[in-house]
Amino acid sequence: MSEEKIKQELEDKFSYLKDAVIIKRKGRISAQVTLDKFNEVFVYAVKQMHFLALSAITGLDKGDGVFEVIYHLNREGKVLLNLSVALDKNNPEVKTVTQYCPSADIYERELMDLLGIKVNGLASGHRYPLTDDWPKGEYPLRKDWKGNSGKTPGLKGEAGVPFPGKEAQNA
Amino acid sequence: MHESGDVRIPIGPQHPALKEPESFLISLRGEKITASSVRLGYNHRGIEKACEERTYTQCLYLIERICGICSHSHSTCFAQAVEEVAGIEVPARAKYMRTLIAELERIHSHLLWLGVAGHEIGFDTLLMYTWRDREVVMDLLAKLTGNRVNYGINTIGGVRRDINSKQKEEVLKAIDILEDRTKYYIDLAKGETTLIKRLQGVGVLSHEDAKKLDAVGPTARASGIERDVRKDDPYAAYAELDFKVISVNSCDVYGRTLVRLGELMESFSLVRQIIRKIPDGPILAKSSRKIPAGEAVSRYEAPRGEDLHYVRSNGTEKPDRVKVRAPTLANIQSVSKMLEDRYLADMPIVIAAIDPCFSCTDRLIAIHDAKDRGKNTVVWETIRLKGIEWYKDRGIDFTSLNKKLTKLF
Amino acid sequence: MGIISKIINWSRLKSPWVLHFNTGACNACDIEIIAALTPRYDLERFGVVLKATPRHADVLLCSGPVTKQIESRLKRIYEQMSEPKFVVAIGSCACSGGVFNGCYNVDGGINKVIPVSAYIPGCPASPKAIIDGVVKLLQSLEEKPREAKK
Repeated sequence: MSEEKIKQELEDKFSYLKDAVIIKRKGRISAQVTLDKFNEVFVYAVKQMHFLALSAITGLDKGDGVFEVIYHLNREGKVLLNLSVALDKNNPEVKTVTQYCPSADIYERELMDLLGIKVNGLASGHRYPLTDDWPKGEYPLRKDWKGNSGKTPGLKGEAGVPFPGKEAQNA
Repeated sequence: MHESGDVRIPIGPQHPALKEPESFLISLRGEKITASSVRLGYNHRGIEKACEERTYTQCLYLIERICGICSHSHSTCFAQAVEEVAGIEVPARAKYMRTLIAELERIHSHLLWLGVAGHEIGFDTLLMYTWRDREVVMDLLAKLTGNRVNYGINTIGGVRRDINSKQKEEVLKAIDILEDRTKYYIDLAKGETTLIKRLQGVGVLSHEDAKKLDAVGPTARASGIERDVRKDDPYAAYAELDFKVISVNSCDVYGRTLVRLGELMESFSLVRQIIRKIPDGPILAKSSRKIPAGEAVSRYEAPRGEDLHYVRSNGTEKPDRVKVRAPTLANIQSVSKMLEDRYLADMPIVIAAIDPCFSCTDRLIAIHDAKDRGKNTVVWETIRLKGIEWYKDRGIDFTSLNKKLTKLF
Repeated sequence: MGIISKIINWSRLKSPWVLHFNTGACNACDIEIIAALTPRYDLERFGVVLKATPRHADVLLCSGPVTKQIESRLKRIYEQMSEPKFVVAIGSCACSGGVFNGCYNVDGGINKVIPVSAYIPGCPASPKAIIDGVVKLLQSLEEKPREAKK
């Protein structure tokens, strides 16, 4: 299926996608969706249009209080559909897509850890990639996060004895 | 599924079978694995955030060091993404150079894997043989790029070094030697009964599971999924070169071995084609420091599978967002599936069969001895304090020793 | 007692057993360490054996910048090794953080966590540099066997 046909099918099925689907080049299509309409477009792309593989999920901080989450859907390795959805920075929340794409699990955990986006419906499990004792509320990939300002867990000396080379490290 | 009565064993992050830190929690009933889970993140270094504070060329050097084994993959993928955003047309000779180094890297990575796989199943001779052969490729790469690992040959707009006719002859000679030796390994894989018995039926990932869990690279190609970014989404010079996508249907570690051996033979043929067909011309296109605003997704077939880079620029000389999805992150989720109902002894080779590269995976940044197989769960801290007390009773105190050693060195 | 400790010392210096630990590295230094043990460079002819557990090892070969997740593990491994023990930091990242210096999840070099006996720079450190570094460490120990014996 060529890129033009894919674009046509999306625009025909979802009228609100008119002018929101762009063909960047051969094998790359981008589409912008709003959060409320995201689920139906995603499910349609995965189930009816055979974009069966989810290659990655990218989360980014656009600045000006907007987050964006891009789902890179892959059709037989040949065409990539980048479905992006905008979120409000003050309350970033998405629903999990693991029921359609089980491999989304680890990408969504990355969103939670590094950007603080809440993913609803995710099964319980280890966080990734940060440590368990990473301080709450510190999301490294946000634009306004400029370093740990001494709050990240340092190396504590066991039983109160500072480890050699780290005598100044706060306990 | 884990049931009560099953023993939980943590494996990693330091373990003789694992070359990199990652931690697996395995539930065992006797010798059979009933459930497993992976904990990653030990290699998370904060690269994606660091990229936002560096210029594109500085980023290139950082991205190259995501992984030492597939360093060229990451740097080419990133350079391609930036060139797509900026609309820079890379000259044909540069594309061929990139492809040449890419195939040499694939050769070195697959030979490395063969050795590591041999080591994991206890066949150390294979490790020594393949790594001795690998030195041929390393010498070649050092001659062409200046370094054995982390070649630094890419730059935004092309490559930094050219190849002359003497080097071309050396490449062809080396490929002849390697092809000879690879044929020996293929005979070994097809004919040696102990190897076949050890690898066949192990780490099975069915065709449907591989599709559902989005496996990539040789792991997927061994389960019958014929997907290769070099054919599906050609980049660099692959559109003009002739090669086959190797895939088998055996779905197990033996299949992955055969796929990688087949890919080695294809790489030799590709290198010969490149040396024959490389066009004359410049190796670098001019590019400005500031990249115009835009975004691009670039895909690359690394030796381990599909590598995906997403780059967004904002018109300055530093990128706005760089996202790297390494192939091992896509494959690691199928490891739990592969380990189901297998024996503990198969664990190292199953994990090694996806050719894990956790430094590619975590890159952003429970020493448990596998021998601690007691039925009671004792917290490590208790064991450790017990050990310290045991020594203290015998007059040895670690704290003062540590201080003395620091003064010594 | 004197002669036994002399023999023990001699065997420690002539045949150091090493443990290799990757503390968040990119693997380039690790494959160079393993390449140093394979037929081309062959460290085993000097008596260097790669061991699986810290309890058997004399020398800890560390590569990579120390990430936050691996800090406590590195400390534990160091404490599990029995005296006398030496640490060799291989590669620029292990010496000082290398190209990752300043990243949020990285502390810096290995000497921020455990005392280091020898630094081998390089990105990655080539097998020749690793052999050179290990030999220099052994030579320097030969000059101070008494203090190292504790």
